Amino acid sequence: MNKYTLKVDENSCWGCKSCEVACKQEHNTPNNVRFIYVTEDGPRYVNGKLDFTYRVNMCKHCDDPPCAHACPAEAIKKRDDGIVILNEDDCNGCGSCIDACPYNAISFDEEKGVARKCNLCYFRIDNGLYPACADNICLAHCIYFGETDTIDQMIKEKPWLKSRIEQARMERIRQTREED
Amino acid sequence: MLEFKYSNVEREMEVYGFDYVVKSHCRMCHGGCGVFVYVKDEKIAKIAGDPDCPINHGTLCSKGLASTQLVYHPDRLTYPVKRIGHKGSGKWERISWDEAIDTIAERIIDYKDKYGAESIVFGYGTGRENEAVIYRIANLLGSPNVLTAGHFCYGPRISSSIITMGTNPIIEYEGFPKCIMMWGNNVTISNPDCYKGEPFSVALDAGAKLIVVDPRFTKPAARADIWLQLRPGTDPALAYGILNVIVNEGLYDKDFVENHVYGWEPFVKRVNEYPLEKVEEITWVPKEKIRAAARLFATTKPAAIQWGVAIEQQINCVDNDRLLMFIMGLTGNIDAEGGQVLYKTPPIVNVGQFGAHAMLPREQAQKRLGGERFRLSSRFAIITPKAVWDAILEEKPYPVKMLFFISSNPVMTRANAKEVYRALEKVEFMAVSDFFITPTAELADIVLPAATWLEMDYIGDFWKRHGYILPRRKVVQIGECLSDHEMLNRLGKKIGQEQFWWDTFEGGLDFILQPMGIKWNDFKQMDYIRGHVKHLKYKKYGFSTPTRKFELYSTILEKMGYDPLPKHREVPESPISAPELYKEYPYILITGARQPGFFHSENRQLPWLRGLHKDPIVQIHPDTAASEGIKEGDWVVIESPRGKVRQRAQFFAGMDKRIVSAQHAWWFPEKKEPGHGWAESNINILTDNAYEGCDPTFGATNIRTLLCKIYPEKREATHE
Repeated sequence: MNKYTLKVDENSCWGCKSCEVACKQEHNTPNNVRFIYVTEDGPRYVNGKLDFTYRVNMCKHCDDPPCAHACPAEAIKKRDDGIVILNEDDCNGCGSCIDACPYNAISFDEEKGVARKCNLCYFRIDNGLYPACADNICLAHCIYFGETDTIDQMIKEKPWLKSRIEQARMERIRQTREED
Repeated sequence: MLEFKYSNVEREMEVYGFDYVVKSHCRMCHGGCGVFVYVKDEKIAKIAGDPDCPINHGTLCSKGLASTQLVYHPDRLTYPVKRIGHKGSGKWERISWDEAIDTIAERIIDYKDKYGAESIVFGYGTGRENEAVIYRIANLLGSPNVLTAGHFCYGPRISSSIITMGTNPIIEYEGFPKCIMMWGNNVTISNPDCYKGEPFSVALDAGAKLIVVDPRFTKPAARADIWLQLRPGTDPALAYGILNVIVNEGLYDKDFVENHVYGWEPFVKRVNEYPLEKVEEITWVPKEKIRAAARLFATTKPAAIQWGVAIEQQINCVDNDRLLMFIMGLTGNIDAEGGQVLYKTPPIVNVGQFGAHAMLPREQAQKRLGGERFRLSSRFAIITPKAVWDAILEEKPYPVKMLFFISSNPVMTRANAKEVYRALEKVEFMAVSDFFITPTAELADIVLPAATWLEMDYIGDFWKRHGYILPRRKVVQIGECLSDHEMLNRLGKKIGQEQFWWDTFEGGLDFILQPMGIKWNDFKQMDYIRGHVKHLKYKKYGFSTPTRKFELYSTILEKMGYDPLPKHREVPESPISAPELYKEYPYILITGARQPGFFHSENRQLPWLRGLHKDPIVQIHPDTAASEGIKEGDWVVIESPRGKVRQRAQFFAGMDKRIVSAQHAWWFPEKKEPGHGWAESNINILTDNAYEGCDPTFGATNIRTLLCKIYPEKREATHE
């Protein structure tokens, strides 16, 4: 099992696309190379009711990554902690991984002539920093990063929300003291 | 394991080898969010949100994150230029700041001498924290004419709230409203003055009920408990429907009505002119839904209305604002904790005082363009744009000879763009300050290089009504760029206003802070200052209105000769008001739904943001598209009686089949010819600015709802 997981609570996503631009700021990829991207699912009728959800797509860091199997240059490797890394220096630009990926999560960088994808900001993770998209930029706070076995619990419990409510309570107490 | 921490500044510095970090205050929209700016080798390397800022709590939108691409954009204007060819020739020559300021000053002095100060019009677009200096220089000069977006954006909210209750009510999201009504707005991707999306999102996650009023099924509508899908432009009728339920079911705050409102009886009489059956017929919203929304909002406390600009860019502008205030007031949510608070700013020289409105001689104020017709906006120093275009094109009631636009692109953003273009072509002299040579700047005589928010010191948000001020700290200097404040500080001293300006604009910042006994150098060490927060102040002091009450019946509007109570007016072009025209133009066109990344006409040259939206998009219902022979992704022509433009069709099932929704302010910086494709997709080619179609008190142009036809571009080609 992967040590870390990045997961988006899509029901809470507002479609603001800050995650896309935070990723651009970190990796400065060209226009058509998007490690993370937001698409619109709807509006459409689901069980007679209109529904509209934003979908946020990126590399899933699969347990058994088909992209790695497909790569003839062995440029894609899964680390011990589960992060699937596409090493651009080893990529020969054949595009096999792009065809093999079931999630449309790999793009071709025309400028560099290589395939590229989300490597889960492993450089940041290894240095104790959150991945760029998950570093508290999202206004919906819907991008979660943490240990795989606790991530669903985090989405359910929304620890950030508890601290915000507590923060507001403290601020109110401070204001009341000021008023008195 | 490694300890992960959000916005870990020390670790970022260490890992990336940044040289230093500056805490500042973004202004990619109207301003507001606290940021960290990381610098390496004297260049901005990264921008992130400041988790301790009470406005954004560390989050940051795509525009803020992409600011670096604005600062270092290769097309940026970095020195003053003067035009050397004919207007629109795109031929420019570099000049010095001295020559630029001297030329502008000479023109101002000359026109004032020959035609009066009123012949010189200063202008800005939407609020970019330069309004105080622009009004200051105009008022000191004696010109009553400052042309802004204020006629249909925020100006009406400020003015109508002042006449109703003394100031603008702001939602206290940190008090966690239990019910939010989002009306003609989507704060998660737009920037309504005083608000950011994050606190709204948090309040919703904390359990608030949500009612959304929108002709389109937005994501907030998808999360709403009740979605009121109104016919575009019928907001006042819908608001009256809600008020009708609140009044006739006795759901209002009895103490508030008995003790704190003015004009209850005539108001109730007016309310009863809008029974739910009639409201349903006007708005297309089923009366059961209106009743359910009214009950939910009135019985859930605290509750608040998240509004924005859409309700103001209509013929019913001021009445829309007032009716929503009535809903806030009658449900007891005004100045209530977790409701909508009348905040106080810290004790500073406020935006009105700094703007030197008191210095404008009375006889000059009386010359304000359009002031006889639009008396409420004129009282608040706001004018409707057409009055300026008419004064240039027809020299009525007097000639306007000079324009000075600062952070404004009216060719793209004002109604009836062809008329705007003609006026700018004709005006004798025009100066523009901007980041780029925009389609508007292409018609200027002199263009000045404006500093971005990362290149200036300023007291952020001091014009807003949420009560915070936050320091914006200069990080870098780009070329010869100057802040708007600094360039007007220089100009003011050249046109006889020496005693009212300073050596550098830091003196102006000290002046603003003076009542608190601090200087800019003290303030820039601080995180922020907030005015004293207190609730339900009216119970002790009343409201700051002529009657000291919350005025349902406006004594000020009555004195000005207007209807003291709001009413519903049909927009000038609707199936009901213009049935003949509707036969030829069989769709209701709505314009200006916001896109993440863009701010009106800005940011289309920033790759990270343009990457989010390549082309201008018009949304059309799939059934309508089928009957018009339009396929998804087709370039289509949208046409009104004023003209036609092209945008790309996107299917959108979340709106009525009779509605078409087009984006606004699109130009193409990548097109290098001087027009930059200004007329190609500019929806304001289609909108109208006739006085009869404007808000009768405020001159707000009705750009959000009109009639159109739509057809594939290919069909047009075969016709020709």
